[in-house]
Amino acid sequence: MTRRLAVAVALVGLAIAAYLTVVHYAGGTPVCAIAHGCATVQKSSYAELAGVPVALLGLLGYVAILASLAGDGERARTITAGLCFAGFGFSAWLTWVEVGELHAICVWCVGSALCMTALAGLSAARLA
Amino acid sequence: MFHRHARLFAALAAAAVVTAAAISVSASSGTPPAKAPAAPVSNLFRGIPEHDGVLGDPKAPVTLTEYVDLQCPVCAEASKQTLPWLVENYVRTGKAKLDLRALHFLGPDSEKAARVASGAKAQGRLWPFVEAFYAAQGQENSGYVTDDFLRAVAKASGVDADKALDAADGEPALRFLEQANADATRLGVESTPTFTVAEGDGAPKVLGSGVLDQAAFEKALR
Repeated sequence: MTRRLAVAVALVGLAIAAYLTVVHYAGGTPVCAIAHGCATVQKSSYAELAGVPVALLGLLGYVAILASLAGDGERARTITAGLCFAGFGFSAWLTWVEVGELHAICVWCVGSALCMTALAGLSAARLA
Repeated sequence: MFHRHARLFAALAAAAVVTAAAISVSASSGTPPAKAPAAPVSNLFRGIPEHDGVLGDPKAPVTLTEYVDLQCPVCAEASKQTLPWLVENYVRTGKAKLDLRALHFLGPDSEKAARVASGAKAQGRLWPFVEAFYAAQGQENSGYVTDDFLRAVAKASGVDADKALDAADGEPALRFLEQANADATRLGVESTPTFTVAEGDGAPKVLGSGVLDQAAFEKALR
């Protein structure tokens, strides 16, 4: 049950990250409910990590999480948890940057951060 | 149970290391500080009249109005990508004139910048000022819009800096802000940059937002 839920959440995160990755490479402005916060965030220097778009990192992260969810052994569960905790940690940092540095909120990014938070909780529950 | 907890801690520890590394790279890739504009900016507007902030022949049949926030990076990008083309093909040829509304919703620095831009407008150099501002633009709300920064932008755009900064506290500067807000609200402009187009004395229509491509302008300015 927890595993199925985790797969569903990871798929939502994957869709968000895929959308943001496409927008990043297309050079467009994301559809955004809050006046141009998304564009601000996506065009900021924090949008890339050592040249790799953060959106793409998220995409790869969700793919890895989904792959790890294919197994249900102790080892697979541990790997899932490690990936989700790292994703959660980095998402938390990025959200802090949005609020504290850029003063702009990208609703898509927050959506992904919420997915990572849920995944961290779910994967921890599977290990406990 | 111990075994499982050990795995949980292993996962946490590994994640902490990866996250810390990622954050340190992300933080150091941080923000380049705003650069002071050094040399006068391009000759894009040379010889083009500017009246009350409207660039181009006052008799041009079409008015293209750009809603900006001077701190907005996409506005700077739009200016870089489409303004030279618009000026060469539509303003210099007398087909259209360009008007500008400076909004200030990103933060207090946006208002400060817009007020001094109003001072530049009073000197008939709003567009060169805005272009010079974009050229030196820093990370929004990072506090780079100091008096010194604005002076440097003014200088680079051929604006009398002292006069422009004095004008920032004046009545015309306040009207400049209020008109931008009122027009934006009336037309439903919610993000910057947004372009509106008006024929003759007709009502302006929203053309689009963001970095528009040439085809979008060609269609509207035909």
